[in-house]
Amino acid sequence: MADIVWVTCPKCEGQFYCKPGDFEDSHYPLLCPYCSKEFLFKESPRIQR
Amino acid sequence: MAKNLGVFLEQLRSTETIVEVEQEVNPADFEVTAILRKLEERALFPAVIYNHCRNIKGEASALRVISNVFGTRERCAVALDLPADETGFPLSSRYAERTKHLIEPTVVVKQQAPVKEVIKKGANLDLSDYPLVRHHEMDPAPYIDMVICLKGRNQNFYNTSFQRNMYKGPRKLGLFMAARHNWEICRTYEEHGEAAPVIIILGHHPAFYLGALNIQPYGVDDYKVIGGIMNEPLNVVESETWGKNFMVPAEAEIIIEGEVLPGVKETEAPFGEWPGYYGPQRLSHVIDVKAITYRKNALWQDVFVSHRENWILGGIPKEGEIYEAIRAYVPTVKSVHFPFSGNCRLICYVSLDKQEDGDARQAALIALAICDFIKYVVVVDGDVDPFNEGEVLWAVSTRCQPQEDTDIIKCVKSSPLDPSIPGQSEGSKMIIDATVPKRKAFAQRTKVPQQVLDRIRLEHYIDEDIILSLPKYTDSLRSC
Repeated sequence: MADIVWVTCPKCEGQFYCKPGDFEDSHYPLLCPYCSKEFLFKESPRIQR
Repeated sequence: MAKNLGVFLEQLRSTETIVEVEQEVNPADFEVTAILRKLEERALFPAVIYNHCRNIKGEASALRVISNVFGTRERCAVALDLPADETGFPLSSRYAERTKHLIEPTVVVKQQAPVKEVIKKGANLDLSDYPLVRHHEMDPAPYIDMVICLKGRNQNFYNTSFQRNMYKGPRKLGLFMAARHNWEICRTYEEHGEAAPVIIILGHHPAFYLGALNIQPYGVDDYKVIGGIMNEPLNVVESETWGKNFMVPAEAEIIIEGEVLPGVKETEAPFGEWPGYYGPQRLSHVIDVKAITYRKNALWQDVFVSHRENWILGGIPKEGEIYEAIRAYVPTVKSVHFPFSGNCRLICYVSLDKQEDGDARQAALIALAICDFIKYVVVVDGDVDPFNEGEVLWAVSTRCQPQEDTDIIKCVKSSPLDPSIPGQSEGSKMIIDATVPKRKAFAQRTKVPQQVLDRIRLEHYIDEDIILSLPKYTDSLRSC
Protein backbone atom coordinates (compact mmCIF):
# COMPACT_ATOMS: atom_id res chain seq x y z
CA MET A 1 0.00 0.00 0.00
CA ALA A 2 0.96 3.62 -0.44
CA ASP A 3 2.63 5.26 2.52
CA ILE A 4 -0.38 6.34 4.59
CA VAL A 5 -1.43 6.19 8.21
CA TRP A 6 -4.99 6.38 9.56
CA VAL A 7 -5.41 8.89 12.39
CA THR A 8 -8.36 9.80 14.61
CA CYS A 9 -9.55 13.28 15.55
CA PRO A 10 -9.35 13.77 19.34
CA LYS A 11 -12.44 16.01 19.22
CA CYS A 12 -15.00 14.28 16.97
CA GLU A 13 -13.32 10.84 16.61
CA GLY A 14 -13.54 11.14 12.83
CA GLN A 15 -10.99 8.98 11.03
CA PHE A 16 -8.91 10.00 8.05
CA TYR A 17 -5.45 9.32 6.73
CA CYS A 18 -2.28 11.27 6.13
CA LYS A 19 1.21 10.96 4.69
CA PRO A 20 3.10 10.10 7.88
CA GLY A 21 6.42 11.57 6.77
CA ASP A 22 4.83 15.03 6.68
CA PHE A 23 3.31 14.98 10.17
CA GLU A 24 5.00 12.43 12.42
CA ASP A 25 7.68 14.18 14.53
CA SER A 26 6.71 17.51 12.97
CA HIS A 27 5.15 20.74 14.24
CA TYR A 28 2.67 20.82 11.36
CA PRO A 29 -0.86 20.12 12.61
CA LEU A 30 -3.28 17.65 11.10
CA LEU A 31 -6.66 19.10 10.15
CA CYS A 32 -9.78 17.05 10.84
CA PRO A 33 -11.83 17.08 7.63
CA TYR A 34 -15.05 16.57 9.59
CA CYS A 35 -14.86 19.17 12.42
CA SER A 36 -11.84 21.31 11.37
CA LYS A 37 -10.01 20.62 14.65
CA GLU A 38 -6.24 21.04 14.31
CA PHE A 39 -4.10 18.60 16.27
CA LEU A 40 -0.64 17.11 16.27
CA PHE A 41 0.02 13.61 15.00
CA LYS A 42 0.97 12.43 18.50
CA GLU A 43 -2.41 13.67 19.81
CA SER A 44 -4.32 11.20 17.67
CA PRO A 45 -5.95 8.70 20.07
CA ARG A 46 -5.57 5.92 17.51
CA ILE A 47 -2.94 5.41 14.84
CA GLN A 48 -3.34 2.60 12.35
CA ARG A 49 -0.42 1.84 10.06
CA MET B 1 -16.05 35.10 -32.44
CA ALA B 2 -13.23 33.66 -30.32
CA LYS B 3 -13.85 30.27 -28.72
CA ASN B 4 -14.98 30.39 -25.12
CA LEU B 5 -17.32 28.52 -22.79
CA GLY B 6 -20.39 30.56 -23.77
CA VAL B 7 -19.84 29.92 -27.48
CA PHE B 8 -19.53 26.19 -26.79
CA LEU B 9 -22.67 26.05 -24.67
CA GLU B 10 -24.65 27.82 -27.40
CA GLN B 11 -23.39 25.26 -29.91
CA LEU B 12 -24.24 22.42 -27.54
CA ARG B 13 -27.80 23.63 -26.94
CA SER B 14 -28.62 22.85 -30.58
CA THR B 15 -27.82 19.15 -30.09
CA GLU B 16 -28.45 18.26 -26.45
CA THR B 17 -30.03 19.41 -23.22
CA ILE B 18 -27.95 21.37 -20.78
CA VAL B 19 -29.58 20.86 -17.40
CA GLU B 20 -30.23 24.12 -15.54
CA VAL B 21 -30.93 23.78 -11.83
CA GLU B 22 -33.05 26.70 -10.59
CA GLN B 23 -33.35 25.65 -6.95
CA GLU B 24 -30.68 27.12 -4.70
CA VAL B 25 -27.75 24.82 -3.92
CA ASN B 26 -24.88 25.05 -1.48
CA PRO B 27 -21.75 23.85 -3.33
CA ALA B 28 -19.65 23.95 -0.16
CA ASP B 29 -22.09 21.48 1.44
CA PHE B 30 -21.71 18.78 -1.26
CA GLU B 31 -25.01 19.68 -2.98
CA VAL B 32 -23.48 20.19 -6.44
CA THR B 33 -21.74 16.81 -6.39
CA ALA B 34 -24.73 15.06 -4.76
CA ILE B 35 -26.90 16.07 -7.74
CA LEU B 36 -24.24 14.87 -10.18
CA ARG B 37 -23.97 11.58 -8.27
CA LYS B 38 -27.74 11.08 -8.40
CA LEU B 39 -27.63 11.62 -12.17
CA GLU B 40 -24.68 9.23 -12.42
CA GLU B 41 -26.65 6.53 -10.60
CA ARG B 42 -29.13 6.75 -13.48
CA ALA B 43 -26.30 6.64 -16.06
CA LEU B 44 -26.99 10.29 -16.96
CA PHE B 45 -24.06 12.65 -17.62
CA PRO B 46 -25.42 16.02 -18.80
CA ALA B 47 -23.58 19.30 -18.39
CA VAL B 48 -25.28 20.97 -15.42
CA ILE B 49 -25.56 24.69 -14.65
CA TYR B 50 -26.54 25.64 -11.11
CA ASN B 51 -28.16 29.05 -11.49
CA HIS B 52 -28.56 29.87 -7.80
CA CYS B 53 -25.61 29.01 -5.58
CA ARG B 54 -24.51 30.00 -2.14
CA ASN B 55 -20.96 31.14 -1.56
CA ILE B 56 -18.66 29.80 1.15
CA LYS B 57 -20.19 32.24 3.66
CA GLY B 58 -23.62 30.75 2.94
CA GLU B 59 -24.84 33.89 1.18
CA ALA B 60 -26.31 34.08 -2.33
CA SER B 61 -23.44 34.04 -4.81
CA ALA B 62 -23.34 36.40 -7.76
CA LEU B 63 -21.79 33.62 -9.85
CA ARG B 64 -23.28 30.39 -11.15
CA VAL B 65 -21.59 26.98 -11.18
CA ILE B 66 -21.19 24.67 -14.18
CA SER B 67 -19.98 21.09 -13.95
CA ASN B 68 -19.85 17.84 -15.93
CA VAL B 69 -18.99 19.61 -19.20
CA PHE B 70 -16.65 16.69 -20.01
CA GLY B 71 -19.12 14.00 -18.92
CA THR B 72 -19.35 12.44 -22.38
CA ARG B 73 -16.92 11.82 -25.21
CA GLU B 74 -19.66 13.16 -27.50
CA ARG B 75 -19.26 16.64 -26.03
CA CYS B 76 -15.48 16.39 -26.33
CA ALA B 77 -15.90 15.46 -30.00
CA VAL B 78 -18.02 18.58 -30.56
CA ALA B 79 -15.39 20.62 -28.72
CA LEU B 80 -12.81 19.49 -31.28
CA ASP B 81 -15.13 20.33 -34.20
CA LEU B 82 -16.10 16.71 -34.92
CA PRO B 83 -19.59 15.25 -35.25
CA ALA B 84 -20.91 14.18 -31.83
CA ASP B 85 -20.83 10.50 -32.79
CA GLU B 86 -17.08 10.50 -33.51
CA THR B 87 -16.34 9.34 -29.98
CA GLY B 88 -13.85 6.56 -30.61
CA PHE B 89 -10.35 6.76 -31.91
CA PRO B 90 -11.10 9.48 -34.52
CA LEU B 91 -11.56 11.83 -31.55
CA SER B 92 -8.18 10.90 -30.06
CA SER B 93 -6.63 11.10 -33.50
CA ARG B 94 -8.07 14.60 -34.07
CA TYR B 95 -6.41 15.62 -30.81
CA ALA B 96 -3.07 14.18 -31.92
CA GLU B 97 -3.23 15.92 -35.31
CA ARG B 98 -3.86 19.26 -33.67
CA THR B 99 -0.92 18.94 -31.25
CA LYS B 100 1.37 19.05 -34.29
CA HIS B 101 0.27 22.55 -35.19
CA LEU B 102 1.30 25.05 -32.56
CA ILE B 103 -0.48 28.39 -32.89
CA GLU B 104 0.94 31.60 -31.41
CA PRO B 105 -1.43 33.34 -29.00
CA THR B 106 -2.98 36.67 -29.95
CA VAL B 107 -2.52 39.56 -27.54
CA VAL B 108 -5.63 41.64 -26.94
CA VAL B 109 -6.05 44.85 -24.93
CA LYS B 110 -7.99 44.85 -21.67
CA GLN B 111 -11.02 46.46 -23.29
CA GLN B 112 -11.32 43.43 -25.57
CA ALA B 113 -10.89 40.91 -22.76
CA PRO B 114 -14.21 39.72 -21.29
CA VAL B 115 -12.37 38.25 -18.30
CA LYS B 116 -11.56 41.83 -17.20
CA GLU B 117 -15.20 42.92 -16.85
CA VAL B 118 -14.94 42.60 -13.06
CA ILE B 119 -11.61 43.06 -11.26
CA LYS B 120 -11.07 42.51 -7.55
CA LYS B 121 -7.81 42.83 -5.68
CA GLY B 122 -6.48 43.76 -2.26
CA ALA B 123 -9.14 44.29 0.41
CA ASN B 124 -11.92 43.84 -2.19
CA LEU B 125 -10.85 40.28 -2.81
CA ASP B 126 -12.37 37.52 -0.71
CA LEU B 127 -12.55 33.97 -2.09
CA SER B 128 -15.35 33.14 0.34
CA ASP B 129 -17.58 35.38 -1.82
CA TYR B 130 -17.56 32.63 -4.46
CA PRO B 131 -19.29 29.25 -4.89
CA LEU B 132 -16.36 26.87 -4.36
CA VAL B 133 -17.36 23.21 -4.46
CA ARG B 134 -16.78 20.61 -1.77
CA HIS B 135 -16.84 17.29 -3.57
CA HIS B 136 -16.51 14.26 -1.29
CA GLU B 137 -17.13 13.40 2.34
CA MET B 138 -13.50 13.36 3.49
CA ASP B 139 -12.49 16.60 1.68
CA PRO B 140 -11.71 19.07 4.49
CA ALA B 141 -12.79 22.15 2.55
CA PRO B 142 -14.16 23.35 -0.79
CA TYR B 143 -11.70 23.08 -3.65
CA ILE B 144 -11.00 24.67 -7.01
CA ASP B 145 -10.06 21.81 -9.34
CA MET B 146 -9.47 23.44 -12.70
CA VAL B 147 -6.35 24.36 -14.69
CA ILE B 148 -3.45 26.26 -13.23
CA CYS B 149 -0.75 27.91 -15.34
CA LEU B 150 2.81 28.83 -14.47
CA LYS B 151 5.53 30.41 -16.60
CA GLY B 152 9.09 29.15 -16.76
CA ARG B 153 11.41 31.32 -14.65
CA ASN B 154 13.19 33.71 -17.04
CA GLN B 155 11.83 31.59 -19.88
CA ASN B 156 9.05 32.34 -22.30
CA PHE B 157 6.85 29.30 -22.00
CA TYR B 158 3.63 28.73 -20.11
CA ASN B 159 2.74 25.37 -18.59
CA THR B 160 -0.82 24.30 -17.82
CA SER B 161 -2.22 21.38 -15.85
CA PHE B 162 -5.24 20.46 -13.78
CA GLN B 163 -4.38 20.80 -10.09
CA ARG B 164 -6.42 20.89 -6.92
CA ASN B 165 -6.54 24.06 -4.81
CA MET B 166 -7.94 23.88 -1.28
CA TYR B 167 -9.75 26.91 0.14
CA LYS B 168 -7.70 28.01 3.15
CA GLY B 169 -8.81 31.62 3.62
CA PRO B 170 -10.04 34.76 1.85
CA ARG B 171 -6.77 35.10 -0.07
CA LYS B 172 -5.09 31.75 0.51
CA LEU B 173 -5.21 28.41 -1.31
CA GLY B 174 -3.37 25.13 -0.73
CA LEU B 175 -1.95 23.76 -4.00
CA PHE B 176 -1.02 20.13 -4.58
CA MET B 177 1.21 19.24 -7.51
CA ALA B 178 2.71 15.88 -8.45
CA ALA B 179 6.36 16.08 -9.49
CA ARG B 180 5.76 17.01 -13.10
CA HIS B 181 6.25 20.21 -15.14
CA ASN B 182 4.50 22.81 -12.95
CA TRP B 183 6.14 21.35 -9.88
CA GLU B 184 9.50 21.72 -11.63
CA ILE B 185 8.79 25.37 -12.47
CA CYS B 186 7.93 26.03 -8.82
CA ARG B 187 11.11 24.30 -7.76
CA THR B 188 13.25 26.60 -9.93
CA TYR B 189 11.63 29.70 -8.39
CA GLU B 190 12.00 28.24 -4.92
CA GLU B 191 15.69 27.56 -5.55
CA HIS B 192 16.13 31.33 -5.95
CA GLY B 193 13.92 32.13 -2.96
CA GLU B 194 11.28 33.64 -5.23
CA ALA B 195 7.51 33.30 -5.33
CA ALA B 196 6.20 31.70 -8.52
CA PRO B 197 3.44 33.59 -10.34
CA VAL B 198 0.46 31.32 -10.94
CA ILE B 199 -3.01 31.70 -12.37
CA ILE B 200 -6.07 29.48 -12.12
CA ILE B 201 -8.38 29.43 -15.13
CA LEU B 202 -12.01 28.64 -14.33
CA GLY B 203 -14.30 28.34 -17.31
CA HIS B 204 -13.19 28.26 -20.92
CA HIS B 205 -14.01 26.39 -24.11
CA PRO B 206 -13.54 22.64 -23.48
CA ALA B 207 -10.91 22.50 -26.22
CA PHE B 208 -8.87 24.85 -24.03
CA TYR B 209 -8.94 22.32 -21.18
CA LEU B 210 -8.26 19.33 -23.43
CA GLY B 211 -5.28 21.27 -24.78
CA ALA B 212 -4.12 22.07 -21.25
CA LEU B 213 -3.79 18.32 -20.65
CA ASN B 214 -1.25 17.73 -23.40
CA ILE B 215 1.76 15.60 -22.54
CA GLN B 216 4.32 17.56 -24.56
CA PRO B 217 7.90 17.74 -23.24
CA TYR B 218 8.92 20.25 -20.56
CA GLY B 219 9.48 23.69 -22.02
CA VAL B 220 6.92 23.51 -24.82
CA ASP B 221 4.63 26.56 -24.58
CA ASP B 222 1.21 25.25 -23.64
CA TYR B 223 -0.51 28.45 -24.81
CA LYS B 224 0.65 27.51 -28.32
CA VAL B 225 -0.39 23.87 -27.91
CA ILE B 226 -3.81 24.98 -26.65
CA GLY B 227 -4.12 27.24 -29.69
CA GLY B 228 -3.43 24.20 -31.85
CA ILE B 229 -6.06 22.11 -30.08
CA MET B 230 -8.59 24.96 -30.27
CA ASN B 231 -7.63 25.43 -33.92
CA GLU B 232 -7.37 29.17 -33.40
CA PRO B 233 -5.00 31.49 -31.50
CA LEU B 234 -5.60 31.69 -27.76
CA ASN B 235 -6.46 35.30 -26.93
CA VAL B 236 -4.33 36.52 -24.05
CA VAL B 237 -4.24 39.75 -22.09
CA GLU B 238 -1.95 41.30 -19.48
CA SER B 239 -2.43 40.04 -15.95
CA GLU B 240 -3.41 42.45 -13.18
CA THR B 241 -0.49 41.42 -10.99
CA TRP B 242 2.48 41.09 -13.34
CA GLY B 243 1.34 43.00 -16.44
CA LYS B 244 3.03 41.90 -19.68
CA ASN B 245 5.32 39.54 -17.81
CA PHE B 246 2.44 37.08 -17.39
CA MET B 247 -0.33 36.93 -19.94
CA VAL B 248 -3.66 35.32 -19.08
CA PRO B 249 -6.44 33.83 -21.27
CA ALA B 250 -8.71 36.75 -22.21
CA GLU B 251 -11.79 34.65 -23.02
CA ALA B 252 -11.87 32.77 -19.72
CA GLU B 253 -14.85 33.09 -17.42
CA ILE B 254 -12.70 33.67 -14.34
CA ILE B 255 -8.96 34.08 -13.65
CA ILE B 256 -7.44 33.90 -10.19
CA GLU B 257 -3.93 35.38 -9.94
CA GLY B 258 -1.57 34.50 -7.12
CA GLU B 259 1.93 33.53 -6.09
CA VAL B 260 3.19 30.16 -4.89
CA LEU B 261 5.16 31.10 -1.79
CA PRO B 262 8.73 29.76 -1.64
CA GLY B 263 9.58 27.47 1.23
CA VAL B 264 6.04 27.47 2.59
CA LYS B 265 4.06 24.27 3.02
CA GLU B 266 0.78 23.78 4.86
CA THR B 267 -1.66 21.00 5.66
CA GLU B 268 -3.83 20.07 2.68
CA ALA B 269 -6.27 17.24 1.75
CA PRO B 270 -7.49 14.44 2.04
CA PHE B 271 -9.00 14.98 -1.38
CA GLY B 272 -11.08 12.58 -3.49
CA GLU B 273 -8.94 12.09 -6.59
CA TRP B 274 -9.24 10.50 -10.03
CA PRO B 275 -8.40 6.92 -8.90
CA GLY B 276 -11.64 6.90 -6.89
CA TYR B 277 -9.84 7.16 -3.54
CA TYR B 278 -8.87 10.04 -1.31
CA GLY B 279 -5.29 11.20 -1.59
CA PRO B 280 -3.84 11.44 1.95
CA GLN B 281 -3.53 14.61 3.99
CA ARG B 282 -0.10 16.06 3.28
CA LEU B 283 1.95 19.23 3.28
CA SER B 284 1.42 21.16 0.05
CA HIS B 285 2.36 24.46 -1.52
CA VAL B 286 0.47 27.63 -0.59
CA ILE B 287 -0.85 30.26 -3.01
CA ASP B 288 -1.12 33.88 -1.87
CA VAL B 289 -4.03 35.11 -3.99
CA LYS B 290 -3.49 38.57 -5.49
CA ALA B 291 -6.44 39.20 -7.79
CA ILE B 292 -9.57 37.70 -9.30
CA THR B 293 -11.02 38.90 -12.58
CA TYR B 294 -14.13 37.64 -14.33
CA ARG B 295 -16.95 38.19 -16.76
CA LYS B 296 -20.16 39.72 -15.53
CA ASN B 297 -22.44 36.75 -14.85
CA ALA B 298 -19.48 34.37 -15.11
CA LEU B 299 -19.79 30.60 -14.79
CA TRP B 300 -17.63 29.08 -12.05
CA GLN B 301 -16.52 25.85 -13.70
CA ASP B 302 -15.78 22.73 -11.69
CA VAL B 303 -14.86 19.17 -12.64
CA PHE B 304 -16.59 16.28 -10.87
CA VAL B 305 -13.24 14.86 -9.88
CA SER B 306 -13.05 11.08 -9.26
CA HIS B 307 -15.94 10.57 -11.66
CA ARG B 308 -16.57 10.09 -15.35
CA GLU B 309 -15.81 13.60 -16.63
CA ASN B 310 -12.53 13.60 -14.76
CA TRP B 311 -11.61 10.31 -16.46
CA ILE B 312 -12.67 11.25 -19.99
CA LEU B 313 -10.78 14.52 -19.77
CA GLY B 314 -7.60 12.68 -18.80
CA GLY B 315 -7.90 9.95 -21.40
CA ILE B 316 -8.42 11.67 -24.74
CA PRO B 317 -5.19 13.73 -24.83
CA LYS B 318 -3.12 10.70 -23.79
CA GLU B 319 -4.70 8.44 -26.40
CA GLY B 320 -3.86 10.81 -29.22
CA GLU B 321 -0.36 11.72 -28.14
CA ILE B 322 0.71 8.17 -27.27
CA TYR B 323 -0.60 6.98 -30.62
CA GLU B 324 1.57 9.55 -32.41
CA ALA B 325 4.62 8.66 -30.31
CA ILE B 326 4.23 4.94 -31.03
CA ARG B 327 3.55 5.58 -34.72
CA ALA B 328 6.95 7.23 -35.07
CA TYR B 329 8.61 3.85 -34.37
CA VAL B 330 5.87 1.28 -34.95
CA PRO B 331 4.04 2.68 -37.97
CA THR B 332 1.46 -0.11 -38.00
CA VAL B 333 -0.12 1.00 -34.71
CA LYS B 334 -3.86 1.31 -35.24
CA SER B 335 -5.40 2.69 -32.09
CA VAL B 336 -4.83 3.56 -28.43
CA HIS B 337 -7.46 3.64 -25.71
CA PHE B 338 -7.54 4.40 -21.99
CA PRO B 339 -10.62 2.53 -20.66
CA PHE B 340 -12.87 3.62 -17.79
CA SER B 341 -11.76 0.51 -15.86
CA GLY B 342 -8.36 2.17 -15.38
CA ASN B 343 -9.94 5.59 -14.77
CA CYS B 344 -8.59 6.52 -18.22
CA ARG B 345 -5.08 6.71 -16.79
CA LEU B 346 -3.77 3.45 -15.31
CA ILE B 347 -4.56 1.02 -18.14
CA CYS B 348 -3.65 1.58 -21.77
CA TYR B 349 -4.82 -0.62 -24.65
CA VAL B 350 -2.80 -0.46 -27.88
CA SER B 351 -3.76 -2.22 -31.11
CA LEU B 352 -1.39 -2.73 -34.00
CA ASP B 353 -0.87 -4.80 -37.12
CA LYS B 354 2.22 -6.55 -35.92
CA GLN B 355 4.99 -7.06 -38.47
CA GLU B 356 7.51 -8.55 -36.06
CA ASP B 357 7.13 -10.01 -32.59
CA GLY B 358 9.15 -7.17 -31.06
CA ASP B 359 6.62 -4.56 -32.24
CA ALA B 360 4.25 -5.20 -29.35
CA ARG B 361 6.78 -4.65 -26.59
CA GLN B 362 8.33 -1.68 -28.35
CA ALA B 363 4.92 -0.03 -28.55
CA ALA B 364 4.29 -0.77 -24.88
CA LEU B 365 7.63 0.65 -23.80
CA ILE B 366 7.03 3.87 -25.73
CA ALA B 367 3.64 4.30 -24.04
CA LEU B 368 5.19 3.74 -20.62
CA ALA B 369 8.09 6.08 -21.38
CA ILE B 370 6.00 9.12 -22.20
CA CYS B 371 3.17 8.74 -19.69
CA ASP B 372 3.98 7.93 -16.07
CA PHE B 373 0.30 7.45 -15.20
CA ILE B 374 0.18 4.11 -17.05
CA LYS B 375 0.54 0.98 -14.94
CA TYR B 376 -0.63 -1.70 -17.39
CA VAL B 377 -0.15 -1.69 -21.15
CA VAL B 378 -2.05 -4.35 -23.06
CA VAL B 379 -1.07 -4.72 -26.71
CA VAL B 380 -3.52 -6.45 -29.03
CA ASP B 381 -3.66 -7.23 -32.73
CA GLY B 382 -5.40 -5.01 -35.23
CA ASP B 383 -8.46 -7.29 -35.36
CA VAL B 384 -9.22 -6.40 -31.73
CA ASP B 385 -10.93 -3.12 -30.95
CA PRO B 386 -9.26 -1.43 -27.94
CA PHE B 387 -12.48 0.50 -27.34
CA ASN B 388 -14.24 -2.85 -26.69
CA GLU B 389 -12.86 -4.06 -23.35
CA GLY B 390 -14.52 -7.47 -23.75
CA GLU B 391 -12.52 -8.04 -26.93
CA VAL B 392 -9.29 -6.90 -25.29
CA LEU B 393 -9.74 -9.29 -22.36
CA TRP B 394 -10.65 -12.08 -24.80
CA ALA B 395 -7.31 -11.48 -26.53
CA VAL B 396 -5.55 -11.51 -23.15
CA SER B 397 -7.32 -14.77 -22.31
CA THR B 398 -6.55 -16.54 -25.54
CA ARG B 399 -3.40 -15.03 -27.09
CA CYS B 400 -1.27 -14.51 -24.02
CA GLN B 401 0.74 -16.97 -21.91
CA PRO B 402 1.67 -15.06 -18.74
CA GLN B 403 5.06 -16.73 -18.46
CA GLU B 404 6.15 -15.68 -21.93
CA ASP B 405 4.04 -12.69 -22.78
CA THR B 406 4.13 -10.47 -19.71
CA ASP B 407 6.90 -8.33 -18.30
CA ILE B 408 7.09 -6.43 -15.03
CA ILE B 409 9.31 -3.37 -14.75
CA LYS B 410 10.07 -2.36 -11.19
CA CYS B 411 10.76 0.99 -9.52
CA VAL B 412 9.40 3.30 -12.21
CA LYS B 413 7.99 6.79 -11.66
CA SER B 414 4.25 6.46 -11.13
CA SER B 415 1.34 8.61 -10.10
CA PRO B 416 1.49 9.42 -6.38
CA LEU B 417 -2.30 9.23 -6.39
CA ASP B 418 -2.35 5.50 -7.18
CA PRO B 419 -3.18 4.04 -3.75
CA SER B 420 -1.40 0.78 -4.53
CA ILE B 421 2.11 2.16 -5.01
CA PRO B 422 4.51 1.11 -2.25
CA GLY B 423 6.22 4.50 -1.78
CA GLN B 424 5.42 8.07 -2.74
CA SER B 425 5.93 8.01 -6.50
CA GLU B 426 7.58 4.75 -7.50
CA GLY B 427 5.71 1.71 -8.66
CA SER B 428 5.90 -1.20 -11.04
CA LYS B 429 4.57 -1.47 -14.57
CA MET B 430 3.24 -4.46 -16.46
CA ILE B 431 3.30 -5.15 -20.18
CA ILE B 432 0.84 -7.73 -21.47
CA ASP B 433 1.49 -8.82 -25.03
CA ALA B 434 -1.85 -10.25 -26.15
CA THR B 435 -0.93 -10.42 -29.81
CA VAL B 436 -0.74 -13.60 -31.88
CA PRO B 437 2.92 -14.69 -32.04
CA LYS B 438 4.62 -14.40 -35.42
CA ARG B 439 7.33 -16.91 -34.53
CA LYS B 440 5.06 -19.97 -34.49
CA ALA B 441 1.80 -21.32 -35.90
CA PHE B 442 -1.26 -20.12 -34.03
CA ALA B 443 -4.97 -20.95 -34.08
CA GLN B 444 -7.33 -18.95 -36.26
CA ARG B 445 -10.23 -16.93 -34.95
CA THR B 446 -13.68 -18.33 -35.80
CA LYS B 447 -15.90 -16.60 -38.31
CA VAL B 448 -19.06 -17.26 -40.28
CA PRO B 449 -18.22 -16.83 -43.99
CA GLN B 450 -18.49 -13.17 -44.97
CA GLN B 451 -20.14 -13.90 -48.33
CA VAL B 452 -22.97 -15.66 -46.52
CA LEU B 453 -23.32 -12.85 -44.00
CA ASP B 454 -23.56 -10.41 -46.91
CA ARG B 455 -26.28 -12.52 -48.51
CA ILE B 456 -28.44 -13.13 -45.44
CA ARG B 457 -31.04 -10.51 -44.46
CA LEU B 458 -32.23 -11.38 -40.95
CA GLU B 459 -35.67 -9.89 -41.58
CA HIS B 460 -36.27 -12.44 -44.34
CA TYR B 461 -36.01 -15.26 -41.82
CA ILE B 462 -37.36 -13.75 -38.60
CA ASP B 463 -40.18 -11.27 -38.35
CA GLU B 464 -38.81 -7.79 -37.55
CA ASP B 465 -41.32 -7.31 -34.69
CA ILE B 466 -39.99 -10.47 -33.09
CA ILE B 467 -36.40 -9.28 -33.53
CA LEU B 468 -37.24 -5.98 -31.88
CA SER B 469 -39.07 -7.75 -29.02
CA LEU B 470 -36.08 -9.91 -28.10
CA PRO B 471 -34.04 -8.84 -25.07
CA LYS B 472 -30.56 -7.60 -25.94
CA TYR B 473 -27.42 -8.98 -24.35
CA THR B 474 -24.35 -6.94 -25.16
CA ASP B 475 -22.02 -8.53 -22.64
CA SER B 476 -20.37 -10.90 -25.10
CA LEU B 477 -20.41 -8.80 -28.26
CA ARG B 478 -17.23 -9.13 -30.23
CA SER B 479 -16.50 -8.36 -33.82
CA CYS B 480 -16.20 -12.03 -34.80
